[in-house]
Amino acid sequence: MPDVFVSKEKTKSSKPKSIITKPKGPERHNLPGHTHNPLAAFCYYPDYVKFVSEDPEEKVVLLLRRHPITNVKWILPAFLMVLAPSFFPVILPYDLLPAGFRIIFPLVWYLITSAFILEEFLSWFFHVNIVTDERIVEVDFFNLVSREITDANIDQIQDVTPRVVGAVRTFFNFGDVVIQTAAAVPLINFEAVPNPDKVARILRESRIEEEQEKLEGRVR
Amino acid sequence: MQDFGSIAPSIFILIKIAVWIFLFTYVLFSGVVIKQVRVMTQTLEVGFEKPIKLIALVHFIVSLTVFILALIIL
Repeated sequence: MPDVFVSKEKTKSSKPKSIITKPKGPERHNLPGHTHNPLAAFCYYPDYVKFVSEDPEEKVVLLLRRHPITNVKWILPAFLMVLAPSFFPVILPYDLLPAGFRIIFPLVWYLITSAFILEEFLSWFFHVNIVTDERIVEVDFFNLVSREITDANIDQIQDVTPRVVGAVRTFFNFGDVVIQTAAAVPLINFEAVPNPDKVARILRESRIEEEQEKLEGRVR
Repeated sequence: MQDFGSIAPSIFILIKIAVWIFLFTYVLFSGVVIKQVRVMTQTLEVGFEKPIKLIALVHFIVSLTVFILALIIL
C-alpha cells in the first residue's frame, strides 16, 4: 500500500543564538570598551575583578566608576593646597617663627593635603558599579570606615533609565543610570558613569539573556 | 628684630604640644588608613591592590617620620 503522506525529515531545531556573545579568553581584548587600565571608569569584560559575595561561576560583564571628570572638584583644591606653602612666607610672619616651626608647618600642611588626596582617590576608586551575568552590584565606601554593598538580580530589573543632564555631562558623555528593581532595594543608581546609553543597552541585553536562560532551563 | 620665641615662650610651648598631639593623632589616623585599605581591597579586587597598599604604607611611614622629626626639632 502506497504511503498516503510522508512527512519531511525533521531538521534539528537550532538553539536560538545567544544575544550576548560571551567572549572566550583573549577575544574580550578586542571588544569595544575593554581596557587593561585598572583605573578605568568603564571596562567591558574586565581582565580581573573579584568582589565579596561573588559567585564562583559568575562572570563580570561591566565595571563602572564615576567619570574621571568628577574628580576635578577635589583635584583643583588639592593642587592649590600643594602650592599654598609657597605663599606661607607672604601670609604668615614666617621670619619671626623659630627655625623648627618653619620646617614642621609645611610638612604638617602637606600631610593634611596627602590625607585629603588619599581619601578622595580611595573614595572614587572603590566606589564601583558591577554588572555580572547574574546581577548588578553597587559597592560604595562612603568614607574610610563606612561601606555599603547593594545588589539585585538581573531578572528583578524592571526599568533602566539613562539620564544625561547638563552641558558638562553631555559634552563628556557621562550620566546616571537609574535602575528600578523588584528587589529589596527598589532603586539602584549608577551615578555619573561614562556611556550611560551603552550601560543601559548592556543591561537590556543581560535581561533578555536571563529570560532566555529561564526558558531553556539554564538558570543557575 | 627679636625672635618671637624669646618674647613669648609659653605660647610656643603650647603650639609645640598642640603640634605633637596633632601629629600623634595623624599617625593613628594613617594606621587606620592602612587597615581600611586592607578592608577595601578585600571587598573589591581589580588588580591594583599592591600600589594602593604601598601608598598607604608610605603615607604611614612619612607621618611617623614627621612626628619623630617634630619631637626632635621643635
